[in-house]
Amino acid sequence: MMDQLTNTQLWTILGPVLALQLLLMIIALVVCIRTEETRGPRWMWVLIILFGNLIGSILFFIFGRKLAS
Amino acid sequence: MTQWFVLYCREWLELVRSYKLIWVPIVFILLGASQPITTYFLPEILASAGNLPEGTTFEFPVPTAVEVLAQTLGQFGTLGVLVVALSSMGAISGERVSGTASMILVKPVSYGAFVTSKWAAMLTLSTISFAMGYGAAWYYTMALFEAVGWREVGGSLLLFALWLGFVGTLTILFSSLLRSAAAAAFSALAVSVLLSLSASMLPNAFAWSPGNLSKLAASFVMNHTAEGLWLVVLVTFCAMAAALTASAAVLRKRPSLDAA
Repeated sequence: MMDQLTNTQLWTILGPVLALQLLLMIIALVVCIRTEETRGPRWMWVLIILFGNLIGSILFFIFGRKLAS
Repeated sequence: MTQWFVLYCREWLELVRSYKLIWVPIVFILLGASQPITTYFLPEILASAGNLPEGTTFEFPVPTAVEVLAQTLGQFGTLGVLVVALSSMGAISGERVSGTASMILVKPVSYGAFVTSKWAAMLTLSTISFAMGYGAAWYYTMALFEAVGWREVGGSLLLFALWLGFVGTLTILFSSLLRSAAAAAFSALAVSVLLSLSASMLPNAFAWSPGNLSKLAASFVMNHTAEGLWLVVLVTFCAMAAALTASAAVLRKRPSLDAA
């Protein structure tokens, strides 16, 4: 299958998914840096988001922020 | 009704502020898109994984398009359910701890409206996210495998969205019963796992159980029809109504946690 697939075709398949994943990571990073207080050290969350792929960003959105109350 | 709508709009504002409106749909789309793509590239992935003797050839039965969609539903059944439960776990307990709930409930707002506005917002978020994710899966299945009719996709989408909504309703119920958000998410997940397990172990005794919903959705996309569908849907609706009533009743008894 791979032989018939050119590089361009491969990128048209994978491109949108990778772009979306990158977008999620960037949003998580921006939120992480701009939020007032994170649960635990901020640099730890930056590392988790950068190296945790999809799971890292999800974890940050669920557990990372202190609720403003 | 206008009052309920104001509460509902407040829940939307909350979804925007907590960024749920952004990350939950993106996560569902990524989940939905990754399953057809991984299935499509599986032979190459295995071949490049190495440590196979030279000249090994794989003869994989290429899965049909509907099988890929059914597998995607299985993926949503684990990670999707987890995301729904975790994203709505603090719905009521969080506001009770922070005191927002008692601040709203001293105003002439009915407890039912308070709970159902949260429930409706959860339902909208989970349904929209799941529809987008399933749509992405459908798109990639069409592009990489073959076409699937919209009837099968639509029917299974509704059935599975109902299952996600049911899990979310459970989370809201436990969120009003328990103080801790994590405990609420854990209890809701445990109950949903028990329901699916009991439904698959004893299919005859639990033919009515909402735990059948994910299985029904998968069989609907494969066979265009599912047996005993309406009974399960009816029971699920009744269970959701009962859970919301119970949740409002608990809240009426203990509006804030200071007294408890």
